[in-house]
Amino acid sequence: MSAKANVNKIWAVISKQKAVVAIIALMVMMLFFDTTFYTPYNWLDMLRSTAILEIVAFGVTVAVICGGCDLSCGGTLCLGGILAVMMVNKGMPIWLAVIAALVSGAVVGFINGFLVVHQKTEPFIITLGMGMLLKGICQQLTDAHPLTCTSLEFMKLSNMKFFGTVPSLVVYMLVLFIIFYCIMRFTSFGRNCYAIGGNYEVAKYSGIKVVPIKWAAFIISGTVSALAGVLLASRMNTGSSVYGDTTGMLVNCGVVIGGTSFAGGVGGMVESFIGLFVIQLLTNCMNQLGVDGYYQRLFEGILIVIIIASDCFGRKLKRERV
Amino acid sequence: MTKTKSNSAVEFLKQNLVLCGIVVLIIVTAIAEPKFVGAANLNNILRQLGPLPFAALGMTFVIIGGFIDLSIVGIISLVGVVTIGLIDPLGQVGALLAGLVLGAFLGWLNGFVLTACGAMTQAEVLFITYGMSSVYTALALIYTKSETLRIARSSKPYTIFTTLGSGNIGIIPIALIVFLLFLILMHLFHTKTIWGRAIALMGGNKDAAYLVGFNVKATMRLAYAINGLMSALASVALLSRVTTATATSGAGYETNAILCVVVGGTTLKGGKGSVLRTMLGVVLITLLGNCMNMLNLSTYMQTVMRGTVLVIAIWLDNRKEL
Repeated sequence: MSAKANVNKIWAVISKQKAVVAIIALMVMMLFFDTTFYTPYNWLDMLRSTAILEIVAFGVTVAVICGGCDLSCGGTLCLGGILAVMMVNKGMPIWLAVIAALVSGAVVGFINGFLVVHQKTEPFIITLGMGMLLKGICQQLTDAHPLTCTSLEFMKLSNMKFFGTVPSLVVYMLVLFIIFYCIMRFTSFGRNCYAIGGNYEVAKYSGIKVVPIKWAAFIISGTVSALAGVLLASRMNTGSSVYGDTTGMLVNCGVVIGGTSFAGGVGGMVESFIGLFVIQLLTNCMNQLGVDGYYQRLFEGILIVIIIASDCFGRKLKRERV
Repeated sequence: MTKTKSNSAVEFLKQNLVLCGIVVLIIVTAIAEPKFVGAANLNNILRQLGPLPFAALGMTFVIIGGFIDLSIVGIISLVGVVTIGLIDPLGQVGALLAGLVLGAFLGWLNGFVLTACGAMTQAEVLFITYGMSSVYTALALIYTKSETLRIARSSKPYTIFTTLGSGNIGIIPIALIVFLLFLILMHLFHTKTIWGRAIALMGGNKDAAYLVGFNVKATMRLAYAINGLMSALASVALLSRVTTATATSGAGYETNAILCVVVGGTTLKGGKGSVLRTMLGVVLITLLGNCMNMLNLSTYMQTVMRGTVLVIAIWLDNRKEL
């Protein structure tokens, strides 16, 4: 009896944390291959490669927890980077360029929020259209050429290393992670976000100011995406309209893979971090094993389908049990 | 009395916003650039319709059914390369049929995965079809090794494709005639057959459809299979027109197809809409592109305009319901 209960308990944990299971499976698999997978350098490199997407995901998670979704983050990321590079090239101080980029992200988030929260439209299709619009604006701004940044200082922003080894992107990511974790965990704003995502009507009648809070969630998502765009532009030392083509879908997928439900009210920063890390880990494992690039894309697609499908399947079982 | 009259005028405007948009667009462009109404440009517009209406036609059924499909990017790419690849071993008729069957199968496979895991909300469907799209595109990449396939390289005759791509009957392109045929067929299917009505019923209320005794899962698979078939047709139209196929030739068709459907007035909530309305959406979007070309606006601005039209169309659509 107790053995069966234990099995059930383990099964419950596994079915809740599919992304963790995938990580463990991949790590165990890598034990059997003689690669440089288990070296500190590789792990730092993985964290650095995934840092930009993770930062976007932290913002998007806030919107998703509120019951929204932000597919325009790819366009916002692109726009933020281009604006920052353009302003730095015009000779403006870096801090001003970064602030201008953040403001542009906030404006995009504000418009998204107005349409989704105030006018009650379907979030994912609105943000999809917004992403398309922003892409066009980015192409218009740059004439679809990559813009090279002339300032070395700006490049240093995400290419320097702390203590000689730790890449600055990893540090930014960790700082933002802690900030967002604390916001969602310990502030009334964060807890209200969960309440709104859990049940909008109940939250409304409980006296939570639903509209401003959900609106703010979209603004946060836009601002953070723009920040990630600035960091990406600094990392590549260019602003280009091709950045962020797949970011929107990939980040939202990663957030859902981690266990933050699209229905809202469930999940958090840890889950999102894990969800995007799984995708990065899979890519890294396949690179280490020398898997062909096309097959990598295939396995990535299969992973996304399997994890999200099993998630749906779990919900279906729950529905039928009730 | 006058008040009711003005009300009915407003009502008419609200119901036929797209039609009014098309008329206004034609008048404005014709005044600004008289060449717009010339025979050469008319022929040009008819040709520009190309593959998009097919894709939009298929997408209409999925959206009327209350779902969404991002995987047509992958389906169009994969069907295109496979069709060209099969001209040599199977002959042109065989290749065409194999391409269409493959498209329908891939669409059915989407539906099968979705029904098997019990995905019921649009968000779940969105991400699973995105994953499937990755899988299909990866398969196309593996099949072609990212080379461009050309029709002209095959040793067997390929007259069907060239006729479809550049043949004319009078002034009307053959591709358009084929499309009109399918438009009529699909309209009859949607309004007159029990399966067409079942799809609309499923979009209106899934639980009610289930309780009434419709097989919701089979209906869902059917809607996706139709979408796959129409995407395959779009792919054939595309490869006949440009006489080549690459593993990424379907890029962008998913957003454009959704754009046409939504602009046409089919609501994303499902249940309402028709293939004829989608046709209006396609005409508006194609005309918009043509007008902007005639007025010498950059291609990038066209992306901005498309995004803007999408956002505004959804917004207005939503306001109608409030």
